[in-house]
Amino acid sequence: MNAETSKRILVADDAETITSLLMTALETSGYEVTVTTNGVEAYEMGLDGGFDLVILDHLMPGLLGLEVIQRWREQGIETPVIMLSGVDDDHTVVASLDLGALDFVRKPFRLPELLARIRQRVN
Amino acid sequence: MQGIELVRIVVLVVFALNALLLLALIGGKAIHRRVTNAAERRRSAYIAVLSRHLALPDEDVKLGSRVARDPAFLDALIDVRNTVIGPEADALGNLVDRFGITAEASSRLDRGYLLTTRLRAAVTLAELADQSSAPVLIEHLSDRNPVIRIQCARGLGRIGWTPAIDAIVERFRDETPWVRSRFADTLVRFGRTATWPLVAYVKITHRFETEGPVTAVRTLATIGDDQAVKPLIEILAEAIDPEIRIATIEALGHLAGPLAIRPLRVCAHDEDWRIRAKSVAALGEIGDPAAAPALASALTDENWWVRRNSAAALADLPHGLVHLYEALESEDAFARDAASEALADAGAVLGARQRILDGEETSDDQRLIAFIDSQVTVTA
Repeated sequence: MNAETSKRILVADDAETITSLLMTALETSGYEVTVTTNGVEAYEMGLDGGFDLVILDHLMPGLLGLEVIQRWREQGIETPVIMLSGVDDDHTVVASLDLGALDFVRKPFRLPELLARIRQRVN
Repeated sequence: MQGIELVRIVVLVVFALNALLLLALIGGKAIHRRVTNAAERRRSAYIAVLSRHLALPDEDVKLGSRVARDPAFLDALIDVRNTVIGPEADALGNLVDRFGITAEASSRLDRGYLLTTRLRAAVTLAELADQSSAPVLIEHLSDRNPVIRIQCARGLGRIGWTPAIDAIVERFRDETPWVRSRFADTLVRFGRTATWPLVAYVKITHRFETEGPVTAVRTLATIGDDQAVKPLIEILAEAIDPEIRIATIEALGHLAGPLAIRPLRVCAHDEDWRIRAKSVAALGEIGDPAAAPALASALTDENWWVRRNSAAALADLPHGLVHLYEALESEDAFARDAASEALADAGAVLGARQRILDGEETSDDQRLIAFIDSQVTVTA
């Protein structure tokens, strides 16, 4: 067990490759990882709080990533969010950051770089 | 009695056959669902293995030696590889070598009996091939199946095999519009390397072909290499086919080379109104103020489309609005209409009305509003 053992991360993405890869990489680094593939589920899981960080896709079934952040903020949920998306038009990037996302990572991504960003935000 | 018995037997046989058919259908569907679910489970398991390989690169990957033949593994590998870039993507590339995936796919593409097998092989090569697969991919650029041809071109573009550019360009003539368009996408991926082969192709073929050279010219425009401007000007001067000339004019506008202004000004007086309309639009796209007089002159063109494009181009040009305001007092009613419409589209009418309300209007504002109001009066 390392220093990050107690940190909880929610990975919300409808792509199995992303959830599998991040879950494996983050669990290997000692984080506690919860996965969802649906925007509505991600929103509901986030309401309970308890996550130290959310890795959030934009295009998900149920609710878009941007809508999820917006609803959390309206409910006073301030969990840090890193957006991870293949949709990287200016509007989505700026809107994500305006809504309070800490970072925006484009797919495909460099795994060590994403892990470094996560470490920086969580610790 | 015998007749009734016979009818009963026939009804029973028909009923039994229908029942059998229904059972076969249900059974077939169930088998298909099981096979699909099993493949989906294998894909998930492979994704997990590949994820672990990326997260823990020091651990050895435990996979059977025949995974290169398993579509579920190939799907998983392609999907995971498309998720990451950098050393992780390279690590997955090493697996491609280790399990002989491209060799297996090449063999199936060459010798596969079923079309689905060959299609899968082509997609695998398009996504995972390295330069050693280039000969197979080039060979199948002339495959009998169009999807395989497209996938092979895509693979060649992905590995950046520049000797393939000529082979792809040469296929333009014989291809359907759909395949040609996908081939063009591949050439765009090659970028500037494809400029001169495309130029050479257009120069050789524009006298006796239309669709191929048009696609090639459009591809040059999309690549955006300004080295193409000069040869395109030469092609514009030589070509007779209006479709090729129109595509060339559009490309010159897109590439926006100042060298193109003079030939485009000449084309703005062409006898074909389509050439004139495209030329003035291209002059506007280039955005050089030197084109303003030619555009202002085209406001009096006999063709509505030419007048409309000229006015729109002037509205986008630095200091172009001056010419539009001047045209409001032209003797030519067509020029006045075109100018007022372009000014309205550019938001000048709203701005002028606001400035008049604020008492800050200019003489141009007064001229514009007077013209608009006079038109309303005439209409009323």
